[in-house]
Formats: sequence, structure tokens, C-alpha cells
Amino acid sequence: MYDERGIRRVVNAGLLLAITLLLALTRIGFIPAPTPAGNATIAHIPAIVGGLLEGPLVGLIVGLGFGFASFTQATVPMFKDPLVAILPRLFIGVTAAYTYLALRQATKAQLKALLAVLLALLLYAAWRIYATPNEDGSQSVLIPVLIAVLGTALVAGLYLWLGKQDPRIVVVAMAAAVGSLTNTILVLGMASLRGYLSPAVALTIGITHGIPEVIIAAIIVIAVVAALRGLGQRKRSRVSQAPF
Amino acid sequence: MASYQALRHVSIGQYIPTGSAIHRLDPRIKLVCFALLMACTVIISSYSGSLALLVLITSATLAARLPLGYLLKSLRPALPFILVLSLLQLLFYTSGSGAPGARVLFERGVITITTASVQAVVVALIRFLGLLLLTSLLTNTTTTGDLTHGIEHLLRPLTRLGLPGHELALVCTIALRFVPILGEQAEAILLAQASRTITPEPHGVRKLVDGATRGARLVVPLFVDAYRRSEELVLAMQARCYHGGRGRTQWRALRLAPRDLVALGLVILILVGTILSRTIVLP
Repeated sequence: MYDERGIRRVVNAGLLLAITLLLALTRIGFIPAPTPAGNATIAHIPAIVGGLLEGPLVGLIVGLGFGFASFTQATVPMFKDPLVAILPRLFIGVTAAYTYLALRQATKAQLKALLAVLLALLLYAAWRIYATPNEDGSQSVLIPVLIAVLGTALVAGLYLWLGKQDPRIVVVAMAAAVGSLTNTILVLGMASLRGYLSPAVALTIGITHGIPEVIIAAIIVIAVVAALRGLGQRKRSRVSQAPF
Repeated sequence: MASYQALRHVSIGQYIPTGSAIHRLDPRIKLVCFALLMACTVIISSYSGSLALLVLITSATLAARLPLGYLLKSLRPALPFILVLSLLQLLFYTSGSGAPGARVLFERGVITITTASVQAVVVALIRFLGLLLLTSLLTNTTTTGDLTHGIEHLLRPLTRLGLPGHELALVCTIALRFVPILGEQAEAILLAQASRTITPEPHGVRKLVDGATRGARLVVPLFVDAYRRSEELVLAMQARCYHGGRGRTQWRALRLAPRDLVALGLVILILVGTILSRTIVLP
């Protein structure tokens, strides 16, 4: 009943968890970033990688480990609450895994269609925010314009990237971004639900913190997955092509 | 160079052997008590309740003969951050101001301080202290081996429902075993890169991109190395005919002693008290 794949999944989960603990418990898991809190975390990356390479269950387990590590290490009240520190982290690897599973087989044309739908949804959301008056009757202009401009730029960038890159790499990047966003949104959402942060503060932290983390997560996850699975065209080192 | 040396000495709550009664409790009971007490600290929201719980947890810490000052010292670097955060919460916390019995203490512009917001901040701080002591009460009195052992036992009933209890415990054991090994590996990578003039501290305006590439430069080899080690471990386990948790016996069988039941009874009493105190309004 116990095949090699079963053992490999358990062992890989263990090692990914070890990396998580290493990153979460030492300073190497934090990258200095120009944000108010000063740091962007990369400790959630093993959970995303686990979700992508080993499936949602491993992603869940590694996420749990990340939550537990950040809970035991916490020096601010917010993360000493298991509902903020542990519960949201369970979903990082799971959402990343399902995004990856859903898009893995997609062709370039399908991914482009998906991007078009995404853009339409973003623009619709921006329009809705613009058209719905605030409580005092005024209309918010800045946020919908920001959403529209950033969304268009994002979709255009992904579209161009998709044109020249292996679509599997683009899918990995999207799954990594979804995983990282899950972390940011659920943690901050939970923190404001539990009353540690006011929604406005949470939104600010989400933008200043979430966006760098998404970018960093996407870069590193692509590098890791490409290295382990041999994806994409990589430049050969010139040494190995030397004529001896 | 010294800054690279710290990586291999990672510890999740150093085990502090003092041989107290709490150290000798069964790890299963300790885990259950920890979870229940944690639930208590999270659900309690009155001044008197959270203070009483903090006193209880502190006395348990003292009973375990853990150095209280040492435990609290880890707070010092984060103290300014905590204070600023609390202040922000005090000034801009609004969601609870409509609570029954909340009085407005101070109001000017967007800033409103009510008794409810003061209570939320103070209770959050007390809760934080309690959880800090509670976590060290678990991790400083239990060896990691005992912890995973206890987790495996507690998950055993769930195996019948299809949850892989044994495998989960194995994942924890492997992870804890490999943290120092991967730490050493990370050290080696950093040293190798430093000797090729890649410095670990970023500077310049492109801090974020720099940081990301630097992170990738360390993390990618770390992942590749971990996967290589995992292949070796899989091979070793297969060679030893590993076949999962079924029919496995244990070298050190866990047995409940009377003191375990007493501890569990006490914690359940505290939990019942906490739930009751929520229905009776306390100051």
C-alpha cells in the first residue's frame, strides 16, 4: 500500500517544512523592503512551492508550519493570536496549488483569454467603485483610476510576457502570486476582523506590503520551480560549453 | 563572518530542563492543555478574566521553574513597535465603540477614545503576555521528540477517518531534524557567495529588486539541496522497508499518570470558568 510516491511526498513535505522553519526563525527569511514595516517575508514561499510541486495537502501542512513558526516567534500582539497567525496561513499552499492545477494544462490562447476576462473584471470593479457614491454623496476617483491603470498595466505585462515565455512559467508565476496574495489578504483581513488593525490601516499595509511580497514570491518561486522541474529555456554556463 | 554562524543554532523554544512536575507531564496532556488554555486566552475579553488567566499562566511558569526574566527579555527589541501599534489601535479603533456600556472618554476630529477601545487595547496586551508565556510553557518544558510523539498519538483517532496522523508526525520529525542541517547548508551557500564578493547586506536605491535577487540566490540552491537530500532519504527509507504507520510499535510507550489527569481536570475547570465568565458580565 505504501509506494515510493507516498514516501517521497512525506519526505519532501518534511524538508519544505524545515526550510520554512529556517526562513521564519532566522533573519534570512526577511528581505529589507522600502515599506513602513521594513521587511517583506519570503518564509511563505516553501508553502507555495509545496502546493505547486506536491499538491494541496503538502501546501496545507507547510502553511500550518509557517503559521505555527510565526505564532511562536511573534513579538507583536497581532501574531500571538492563532486566528491571525495560523488559520490564514493554511490556505497559502492550497490556493496556489489549485490555481496551478487549474491552469497547468492551459494553452497560450486559453491563458490570453483568461487575462482578457481578468482585465474585464478589474475594469468592471473600478467602474462599480466609481459609479457607487460614498456615504457622503461624493465619488471616489483615485482608487478606481488606480485599479484600472495598475490592472491594465499588469495584464498588458503578463500578455507580453506570455508571448515570448514558456506558458508553464507564467502559470507558476500566477499561482505564486495567488498564494502570496492569499497570505496578505487573509492575514490582514483576519487582523482587522479581530480588531488589531482598523480596515484603513490594513488596506495601507496590504498595498505597501502585499505588492512587494507578490513580486518577490513570483520571482523566487519561478526560480525554484524552474530549477527543480527544468522548465523554460535557461542559458547554459559558458564553462560547460568549453571545448575540453 | 560571524553573522553567518548563527544559522545552525536555530531553536524553536529551547528546551530548558529543570525537572519540574510540568516537565514530567505526558506530552499528549500538555498539548491538549496548551490548546485549551490558548482557547481561553483568545476568547476572554474582560479585564478581570484576562488578568486572572495571566496570573494562572504566570504561576504555572514559575511552577515549571522557568526563568521568567529571560522569557520576557525577548520582548525588549519589539517593545517600541508594540507600544506604537497599541497607540494607533487606541486612537483609530472604532469597530467596538458601539458596544453596550461604552462611554466616550475623549473626542476630537477623527480621534475617538471610548472605554471599549481602551479595554480592547489593554486586554490585547494582557492576552499577548499570556500567550507568550503559554508558548514557552509548552516548548521550553517539552523536548521536540516528545512533542512529535505526542502529536502522533493525538492524531491517531483521526487515522480511521483517513487523516494521515503517522505521516504528519513523520513530517514534523523530519523537519525538526533537518532545520540545523539546512541551516548549515545556508551558511555554506552564504560563505561561498561571500568569497565570490556577493555581500549579504543590500544597499543602494534598488533595495527591493536587490533583496529579491539576493533572496533567490540563497533560497534556490537551498531548495535544490533539500530536494537532493530528500531523494537520499527516500532511498534510505525504502532500503529499510518503511511501510507507514500501520502495525508500528514504539520504543517509548506513553502512559498516563495520575498527575496528568489532575492537570487536565484543572485546565478543563479553567475553560468552563472562562466560558461561564462570558455569560456573566464582569468589569
